[in-house]
Amino acid sequence: MSPDWQGAWQALTHHPLFGIGITLGAYQLAMAAYERTRWVFLQPVLVSMLTVIGILLLCGLSFAEYRSSVAALTLLLGPATVALAVPLYLNLRRIRQLFWPIILTLLVAGTFATVLGAGLAWLFGAERLMLMSMAPKSVTSPIAMLVADQIGGIAALAAVFVMITGVIGAIVGPSILRLCRVHHPAAQGMALGITAHAVGTARALQESDECGAFAALAMSLMGVITAVLLPLAIVMLL
Amino acid sequence: MLLRGLSWLVLCQLLGTALNVLLLPMLPGPIIGMLLLFVFLMLRGEVGEPLSVASSSLLKYLPLILVPPAVGVMAYASDIAADFWAVVGALVLSLLVSLAFAGWLMQKLIERQQRREDV
Repeated sequence: MSPDWQGAWQALTHHPLFGIGITLGAYQLAMAAYERTRWVFLQPVLVSMLTVIGILLLCGLSFAEYRSSVAALTLLLGPATVALAVPLYLNLRRIRQLFWPIILTLLVAGTFATVLGAGLAWLFGAERLMLMSMAPKSVTSPIAMLVADQIGGIAALAAVFVMITGVIGAIVGPSILRLCRVHHPAAQGMALGITAHAVGTARALQESDECGAFAALAMSLMGVITAVLLPLAIVMLL
Repeated sequence: MLLRGLSWLVLCQLLGTALNVLLLPMLPGPIIGMLLLFVFLMLRGEVGEPLSVASSSLLKYLPLILVPPAVGVMAYASDIAADFWAVVGALVLSLLVSLAFAGWLMQKLIERQQRREDV
C-alpha cells in the first residue's frame, strides 16, 4: 500500500494552524531580509504579504479560508491600536516649547495632504471605493486600515497605498526637503512624519535624533487626528 | 506585568466599542479606546510599568499583526488593476507637494516663534 501523499497534503494545508504558520514564517524571513539589507523597498509587511499570497495561490487556498485561520492574530489589532496612546503621550510631553508650530503644521499640512491626495485621485477618475481606501494614505497602517474600513473603503487596499506612500516618501523625502531649503531638523521630521508615517519616521531617525523624535510625534498625532476627523468629515460632506 | 497591561488595553478597547455603539458611530471602537487611554495617561501623569511593557511588546509585533489584513489585497486584484495608475499617480504627486509644504510651513512657524522670543 502506497502512502496517501494527497491526503497528508490536504490535511496539512487545511489545518487551522497552516495560516498562522505561513504568516509567522513569511514575517520572520521578511524581517531577516530587511535587517540584512536595510533596503527601503523590503518593507516587512509588503514582503510578507507577497510571500503569503504566493503560498496561498500555490496551495489553492482562498482568502476567506486564510482569514478565518488567522483570526486570532487579527484580533490583536484592536489592543495594538489602543497601545499607540502610550508613545503618543510620551512624545507629547517632550514638545512643550514648539507646541503651536506643531499643532498648526499638523492641522494645515495634514488636511492639505489628505484633500490633495483624494482630490487628485478623483480628478484622475478613480472610483469611490478606491478614493475611500486611499484617503487615509498618510497615516500609519493600523489606523489607516481602521479608518478606510469605517468610511467605506477596503482595509487591505489602504494598507497597500499607505505602504507605497511611505516607501516613496522615505526614498525622495530628504532630497525634496533639501531642495526646498528646509534645514531645521524639527521641520524635516514633521514633514516626513506627517506625510510618510512609520517608514518616513525610520528614515528621519537616520538623519538625526531630533529629526526622528519630531517625525515620531508627527506620525502619532497625524494618525489620531485622521482617525478622529476623517470619518467625521466624510459623514458631514457626503 | 504583561498580562496586567494587556488587560488594561483590552478594557479600553471594550469600553471604546461600547461607546462606539452608544454615542459615536463614526469613530472606530479601538480609536475611542486609544483616546480613553490617552486621557487616562494625561490625568495620571505617567505610564505605569505594566502598561509600558504590554504596549511596547504589542507594538513591536505590529507589522506581523498587519500581514493578514494586507493579504486581503488578493481578493480585490481586479478592482486594483482598474484604477491602479490613477491612484498611484495621485499618491505620488500629493506626497511630493504636501511633503515640501509641511516642511516649509513648519520651518516658517519655528522661525516666527524664535523671532518673537528674541524681541
